[in-house]
Order: sequence, then C-alpha cells, then structure tokens
Amino acid sequence: MFILRFLARRLFQGAIIVFLVSALIFTLLRVVPGDPVRLMAGGMAPEALIEQIAADMGLRDPIWQQFGRYIGGVVQGDLGQSFVRPANGAAVGGASFDDTTRSERAEVLALIADTAPMTLQLALLAMVFALVIAVPVGVWGGLHPGGWPDRMALYLSSLFVSLPNFWLGIVLALILSVKLQLMPAIGYKGFAYTILPALVLAIEIAPFLIRTLTVSVAGVMGQTFIDIARVRGLTRNQIVFRHALKNSSIPLLNLIGVQFSMLLGGVLVIEFIFDYPGLGLLTINAVMQRDFPLIQGIAIVTAAAFVLINIIVDLVATTIDPRLEY
Amino acid sequence: MDRRKFLRYGAATGALFGTARINPDFFFSSAHAQGARPLVFLSAENITGNWDPTAHTTLSQTNIEGFVMGYLTRAPMRPGAPDEVVYELATEITELDAHRLQIKLREGVTFHDGKPFKAEDVKATFEYGALPDRPKQVYPGPTDTFEVTTPDDHTVVVDTSKGGYGASLFIFLASYLPILSATDVAAGPNGPLSQRLNGTGPFRFVEQRGNDTVMEAFPDYFRGAPKVPGVTFSFVGDATTRMLSLMNGQADVIERLEPEQVETLQAQEGIKLSRLVSVENKYLWFRCSKPPFDNPLVRKAAAHAIDRGMIMEIMGTAGEASSNFISPIKFGYFDIPDYPEYNPEECQRLLAEAGFPGGQGLPELEYITSTGFYPKTKEYGELITALLQEQGFPVTLNVMEVAAWNERLYDRPGGGPGHMVDCGWSTGSPEPDLVLRTHFHSTSKRICGIVDPELDAALDEERNAPSMEARKQSLQANLMPMLADKVPALSLFTSVLIHGMRADVDGLFIYPDGQSDAASATVA
Repeated sequence: MFILRFLARRLFQGAIIVFLVSALIFTLLRVVPGDPVRLMAGGMAPEALIEQIAADMGLRDPIWQQFGRYIGGVVQGDLGQSFVRPANGAAVGGASFDDTTRSERAEVLALIADTAPMTLQLALLAMVFALVIAVPVGVWGGLHPGGWPDRMALYLSSLFVSLPNFWLGIVLALILSVKLQLMPAIGYKGFAYTILPALVLAIEIAPFLIRTLTVSVAGVMGQTFIDIARVRGLTRNQIVFRHALKNSSIPLLNLIGVQFSMLLGGVLVIEFIFDYPGLGLLTINAVMQRDFPLIQGIAIVTAAAFVLINIIVDLVATTIDPRLEY
Repeated sequence: MDRRKFLRYGAATGALFGTARINPDFFFSSAHAQGARPLVFLSAENITGNWDPTAHTTLSQTNIEGFVMGYLTRAPMRPGAPDEVVYELATEITELDAHRLQIKLREGVTFHDGKPFKAEDVKATFEYGALPDRPKQVYPGPTDTFEVTTPDDHTVVVDTSKGGYGASLFIFLASYLPILSATDVAAGPNGPLSQRLNGTGPFRFVEQRGNDTVMEAFPDYFRGAPKVPGVTFSFVGDATTRMLSLMNGQADVIERLEPEQVETLQAQEGIKLSRLVSVENKYLWFRCSKPPFDNPLVRKAAAHAIDRGMIMEIMGTAGEASSNFISPIKFGYFDIPDYPEYNPEECQRLLAEAGFPGGQGLPELEYITSTGFYPKTKEYGELITALLQEQGFPVTLNVMEVAAWNERLYDRPGGGPGHMVDCGWSTGSPEPDLVLRTHFHSTSKRICGIVDPELDAALDEERNAPSMEARKQSLQANLMPMLADKVPALSLFTSVLIHGMRADVDGLFIYPDGQSDAASATVA
C-alpha cells in the first residue's frame, strides 16, 4: 500500500515537473532568434514560400496555441516530426529549396528511441567504470580518516575533477587509440566504441563518488554499532562489507541517481568529441539546426527519465534503510 | 583450510580460468588490420536530406555525387592546364557553329538501376537542370532559351539560337551537373530524385545510415569495377575528431584541414597530405540592396580599408593570394590591375565623397561570419572588423555556427540580414559564370542582392561572345574591371583545399572543388 501511495504521489509530481519543463523549453525556443523554416526550406527559398510553410505548420500562431497543440500530441505519445531530419536520421543542412521530402521527416520519438539506448549503454558503462575506480579508493580512504589513503583519495579526486573532459577525451584518444591502437575511438560500430568515452565520463564522475564514499564510510565507522560489532567478535571484513558499506550506501545511491540522470540528459561534449551517436550528439545537432520538435522531445524524455530515476533511487533507499520516509 | 575459504578460493580459480577464455576482441579491436574494406571519408559539412542534385548547392552532398554520379566530362583544373577537359560520358564535343554544339555519348553505359544511358538522359538533365525553380540552376539561361535534340541514342545537339548566347558555354558546364536518368526526371522533384541517388558513377548509393552515406562499388562501371568495395562518407562535425580518426586509422580521408592540423599531420608517419588550389574564392559580400552598401563608393571605401596581405598571413597554407572574383584555375582569370588594395587614404577620400567623412553618419554595421566549416573565418573576421573600425566603419562582428549563418546567408527582399557576410563559392568547372552570373546578375544575385544594369549588360556581353577567345577578351577588358570598380563583393583570397589521407590510400584523384574520383583508388 505504501508503495502504491508513494508511486502515485511521486508520478503525479513528476508529471507536473515534466509539464513545466515542456512549457519552459517550448516558450524559450520560440523567443530566441533563428527562423527554423528558413533552415528547412533553404536560404534561397523565396519569402512567400517561407511564410506559406510557416503558416501551414502553424508556426505563426500564438505560442499558447502552438503549445496546446503540441502537448495534446505528447499526451497521446506523439512528439511530432523533426523539422529538418529526414527519416534516415541524417544530420542535414539547410540548402534544400523545395520541401518535397516533408512527408519523409523523421519522427522525434523514433530518433530518440534510436539514440537513447546508445546513451544508456554509455551511461551504464561509465557508471560501472566510475564505481570500479571510486569504491576501492573511497572505502579505503573512509576506513583511514586522516591517514594516507584518505589523503590519496582527496588528491586523486582533486586531480580528476580538474581535468577538462574535452581535453581528457582527446588525450586518451591520442594515447589509447592512436599511439597504442588498443581500441577505436570515433563513431560507433560495436561495443568497443563505448569504452573510451565511458572512461572519460567515469573519470569525470568518480571524484564525487569518492568524496561521498570517504565521508560516509568514515562517518559510519565512527558510530557505536561498529564498536559493538567488534565486541561481538565480527571480523573486520564482516564489519566493513556487511554493516559499514550498507549503511554508507544511502548518500552514494542518491548521488548515483543524480549523476546517472545527468548522463542520460545527454553527455554533450563527450558524444560530440567521440562522434558517439547518442542523445548528446542528437541534441547538439538539433540545437544547431533549430530543430524545435527534436529539442522539445529530448527535453521531455530526459526530464521524465530524471523523475523516474529519482523515484527508483528513493524506493531502493527505503528498501535498504526502512527508517527513511519520502 | 575451512569450508568457506575452500569455496572462495575455488570460485576465484574458476573465474581466473574463465577470464582466460574470454575473447578480448569483443572489447578491444583495433581499427587497423582489416581486409578489403570501404574507403572512409569524413566530411566537415552535413547534407541536405534531399538527394536531387539540382536542389542544393551544398558541397558535402556534391562530393557524394562525385562518387555516384556520372558527368559528360570532368575538369581536373590543375594550375598548369586549367582548361583541360577529360571525357567521361561524352566521347566527343564539337561546336557545329556558334549556337550549336554536338555531343557524342559513350555506348554501353548503364545507370545503377539498370537503365541504359542514352541521349534522352542528357536532354532530360539539361532541360530539368535549367528550370528557373531549380536552386542549382546553372545553365547560361533557363530552359526556354535553348533546345536539345537527340538525332540518335548517342548523339545530343544543343542549340542556343533562341537565347542568343554561344553554345560553347555548355562545354565547361558539362563537367558540373551530373547526368540524371530521364526516368527519374520524368517523375519530377517529388519522385525518386529526392529520395536517392541514381547515377552511372563508380559507386552505387546504398543507403543513408544516420550520418553515414553508404556506397558500394558498381561492378558494371564502364571504366571497370572500382578496387575498393565501397565508400562510406560520414559527417563528423568536429575538426579534432576528424583528425584523430585519421590518425588512428578509422578514417582514410578527411577534408578541410586547419593550418595547425597540417603541421600536426605532417609530422605523423602513415599520413600524407594533398594540397590543391581550389575553385573556391572566399568573399566579403556586401548587401548591395540596402544602405549604406547600396552606394558603390562606400563599398569601395570598405574594400580599400582591408589589408589582404594580413589575411594571407592568418590563412597560412590554407589560402592562396588572388586578385579577381574567380579562382586562378577558372577560365578567364587574370590579376585585375585595379583590384582594390589596402589604401587608407583612398578609403577616407571615398568615404568623404560618399558623405561619410571619417565614417561619420554611417549606421551600425553587422558583419556575419561562420565558424566550424571554413578555416580561420573567425580570426580573419576579427582582423577585417578591426581594419574597418580603424577607418571609421562602426562594424560589429557576429560569429555564428554554420546552421545559423546558413539561415542568414542569402539575399532577401529588402536585403539579407546584416550588412556584410562571409562566404566562399565553389563550383567544379572552369566556367566563370557559375560564380559571376550566379552572384552579380540581377536575375540571380544570390548573396549580395545587386541590381545594376551595367553589370547585367557586361555579363550578357561575355556570355553572348561568339568564341572562347572573344569571351575571354570581354571578361578581362569589360566585366572584371567593372566588378573591381563596383565591388559588390570583395574576393579575399582563393581557398586551398587540404585533405589528409592515410599513406596506404593510393590512386585517389581529388578535384579542386573537393570531389574525389575513387574509381582507381586502393587501400592497402
């Protein structure tokens, strides 16, 4: 019963957040300069054709009317058609004069459905790499507060957090792909193409995980029940892995939820540098081409993903620690 | 050893043996050491989404057409022989008289969809490509100014009597517009033309897969099947990403190298560079249909404020100095004697004569440029802005990403956005009118929007010249000096196309407009 009430409340709140995000993005996109019709029809198209296409598409109606039409479609699962992308998904420029391929424009939902799994794969692998780096370093640092493992965790986090991701991406591609030829770096033709961008993202995320783990493990290890566990005759491994880690995982879990949502929201720079065909690259191209329906669709989907991930994180947290109430 | 430890050690040993059996190639696979594989070409520009070759002027898509489509002739346009013509689908082009041109066609050629190539295809292409509503309408005049007849399946006669211009204009144009199938043309712009490419070239268009245009070798290509199994032409927006792809072997050819990248790649083993003076000039276009650049004195003053020598220093190896509105490898090029040079005194004199002494009274001017496609546009844009400001022009530079710039590029009723805009123009033919008439005749005026009866008359005069020699004379004695006097645009320099490619790529011929002929290319 608790779960049903919890889900109903949180999903309702989530729907309101997604609606507000949609309204905000929709309005902002229409007040910034740049006429998408000019991009669609091409620079050489006459003004009359531009106005005709704009009127046909309802782009000259008041914003609230356009939004009403749009949200009506969204409710029915229709995120609309891309303004510029053909059904084959290519990133296109704006030089075509006539609009004959209009009916061949790609569905926004299909474009997102094609690219979201790629970003999901990248985000999951990045999170795995980040945990592989952060858990040993963070836990070790937390077990020795003030000691050299703690200092090493701090220095390592400071180092990682100060590396700009675009620079790190290029350097790692240069070393691992160009010099050592261990793995491919650009584009996507198989799982191996995910490793390098995931590694860069992992290094970007790891400092936050390390610091959270160090602080929370150190905090838990100083509590009374850990002292009592020693008195009960439990081994150090049992104390650390069964009791300390479980209790210090709540803040980590929340952080992972937030970081994962951010990864899903489009890792713009990394996907652009590695030409990785995920949501980030799709977003960059959509923004550059003033592809309003695509930008809106991506914003709605990522906002919804953010809401859902947070609900899941809270559910898992209450399972780990039943005292928590949301 | 207790039971728990036994289980733990047992599991660890099992995992160790299991790891040894995992095929690491699944995770790590070098892009090198592959067998026969397609040539991978990375482009700096995206495509339009409409495959009709007459519907766009986008360079990347023109480059794709170079692989798939057939042309009557090809123009290698090397500086030593700019007028050279190589016959492809045509075997002979003869001027029957001043207004009639006979083209003999190659026999035994088929389109990729199996249709035999015949004279009807050339007729359909010429007539369709010259329709006034075609964005890439490039012929000397619209369809109703010439007549195409087909005495037999492999002979075409072009008669330009109705238009009053010389039929020889079709000689250079023959290497520009790809030959379409008459069946495709018959279906109109809403038909298969817009959905896919169908040509007679060495590679067959297979599909557009995301940003990859996939082409495969056409076994029945009339010069023999290509040696590489295909070409993958991909849009990769970031210049560093393209360079890294070349260095790690994922790409075979990349285009539009920045001068700094040239230095990096020159030091790399396994990579070679191709440097070609291109057919593309880079221009500072003035919006001539609105103040203050509707006044030729102000345009000329601005031209005299710009030191092109300093721009060349910024461009380094990516630019070649030229003093004309067309590239040195185009028909009719010569260094125009009165081409506007940097001269602050002359600039001030012209400004005063125009009623803006020291720039006083000039409106705020917007100079639009792009970043990400052409090399160094932002850098020399800042220089031009500073030079103009020095002479009193209240200029603001607006640097945009390519799509936004593209949206503002062309002329509109009442004048296009801004007052000055940076753009190059590249056309794969020695024909000068593909630049001059396209931009400076009042029926076209793509970017600058100029309407000037004297220029129209000069353009018509050179087009209607009875012979090539007379045409050259008209271009050099009348039109080009007139353009240098009226400066509807200032040509800044000629672009140099720098391609980077893997050293094991052999036999790839690159044309000065960026198209490539990979029919004989091999990848070791």
